[in-house]
Amino acid sequence: MAEKQKKELDFEKAIKKLESVVKDLEMENISLEDAMEKFEEGIKLSSFCLKKLNEAEKKIEELTRSEDGKLITKNLNIEDN
Amino acid sequence: MENLQKPKVYSVSELNSKIKTNLESYFNDIWVEGEISNFYCHKSRHMYFDLKDEYSKIKVVMFYRNNKDMVFELEDGLHIILNGYVSLYEKRGEYQIIALDIKPVGKGSLILAFEQLKEKLEKKGYFKKELKKKIPIFPRKIGLATSTGGAVIKDIISVLNRRIDNYSLFVRNINVQGLTSGSEICEAIDDLCQYGVDVIILARGGGSIEDLWAFNTEVVAEKIIECEVPVISAIGHETDFTISDFVSDLRAATPSVAGELVILNKFEFIKNLISAVDKMKNLLIVIINKNRREVFFLINRKVFLNSEYLLKKFWQRLDDLSLNLKRNIEGIILSKRLVFENFKYSISEKDLISKIRTFYINLKNSYNNLDTGIINYLNDKNIKLKMLMENLQNRSPVSILSKGFSIIYKKDKKTVVKSINGVKTGEEVKIFLKDGNLLAKILEKYFKKS
Repeated sequence: MAEKQKKELDFEKAIKKLESVVKDLEMENISLEDAMEKFEEGIKLSSFCLKKLNEAEKKIEELTRSEDGKLITKNLNIEDN
Repeated sequence: MENLQKPKVYSVSELNSKIKTNLESYFNDIWVEGEISNFYCHKSRHMYFDLKDEYSKIKVVMFYRNNKDMVFELEDGLHIILNGYVSLYEKRGEYQIIALDIKPVGKGSLILAFEQLKEKLEKKGYFKKELKKKIPIFPRKIGLATSTGGAVIKDIISVLNRRIDNYSLFVRNINVQGLTSGSEICEAIDDLCQYGVDVIILARGGGSIEDLWAFNTEVVAEKIIECEVPVISAIGHETDFTISDFVSDLRAATPSVAGELVILNKFEFIKNLISAVDKMKNLLIVIINKNRREVFFLINRKVFLNSEYLLKKFWQRLDDLSLNLKRNIEGIILSKRLVFENFKYSISEKDLISKIRTFYINLKNSYNNLDTGIINYLNDKNIKLKMLMENLQNRSPVSILSKGFSIIYKKDKKTVVKSINGVKTGEEVKIFLKDGNLLAKILEKYFKKS
């Protein structure tokens, strides 16, 4: 759980960071060197977000308990209308 | 006098017993209306209070077996109508009403119970904003507690499909009404937490206050409060409010809305990502142009040999990044195209397809814009570079070439060979002359004799 939450945080952090990178690039007095760095960071952040977004697989499962009380999942077929 | 019958003398118990019998048969099954005062619930859970009006009052007792199924709480000042019979408490010789059923006056029992629980939980601080957990914008595992048989689950899935093509939904089936519903909801929340979902949607379609009752119970409210995972309450129609709406971390007006609140719209998000990248690129070009003007200014004033090299380094990095960016975007387009191809076959709703088409066209347009943007920009860069080269020509070592000198580069064309120690025998080198370059091989090295 904890690890998962950390990952989640990273995704949201990346979005926030990306917003601030764009803001930094909008600053008037930014140096060329800084701008290149920010741009590079921005591209890295966007690809990170993309990667995270495309990582997961689609699944719909039903969560039940087996006879001995264990949590199990099985594929759930719901017609999407 | 002797003929006179001796008066019948009762014992106290006998009299009370007789009065009791008479009272009970005469005031059997009566309805009385009044206001509760001096309410007291004994630890045996029998309830005692006075029922009064403006002028008068009467004692009332309601035993546990009769009050245990009551949904609302009795309290002083409550205006009620009760059904029962009059009896006598023989030990004290006091008459009292034995209440069998009580209804509030002016509103239904459930509405009263709802208001009472709401007030109670509010006093406990359960509705406070500080208690509300943040809903993650991109949950990996979405938990859903609802009936797998109803329309609700279909609605939610259909909304999710419209927003994102890769989500994980774990559904825990519950009875959303009936006697066991409350405890089933609690179990479902526990199970979903244990399984490790990142967010839980508690959903049910519309219905009467009786139908929705399980979501107005104290056990469910307490369970939602103690749940460590954020809970979205999506019960009934927009106008239906339940206790679970107040204690949950987020209320969705309907189950479909819950589908929208629970996860970001991936298609939207990618669009925004592309425009952010676009914006960054344009900002960078502005900055580079500004800096270039400054560099030109410097070059025209004094010999600044390193400037060409520095600029080249920048251009190279920019080229790499643009290429990366292009590749990334092409990757998205390709994967989206595949997804949409699949969508075409799995979805029947026409408007959905047309929505996806518009989205795809937008995506393609922004890709095209980006592409022409990069090409224009690269062309522009070449022209500017040429100008720079011309400007530098008189001062640059390149102009020496026309005088018969040449420059030897390593094969990577980056490193100038300045010493014979810089190359190995057998290594290939490039020789730059004024009208072109040669590929040559070092056959032998002769050190200068000093």
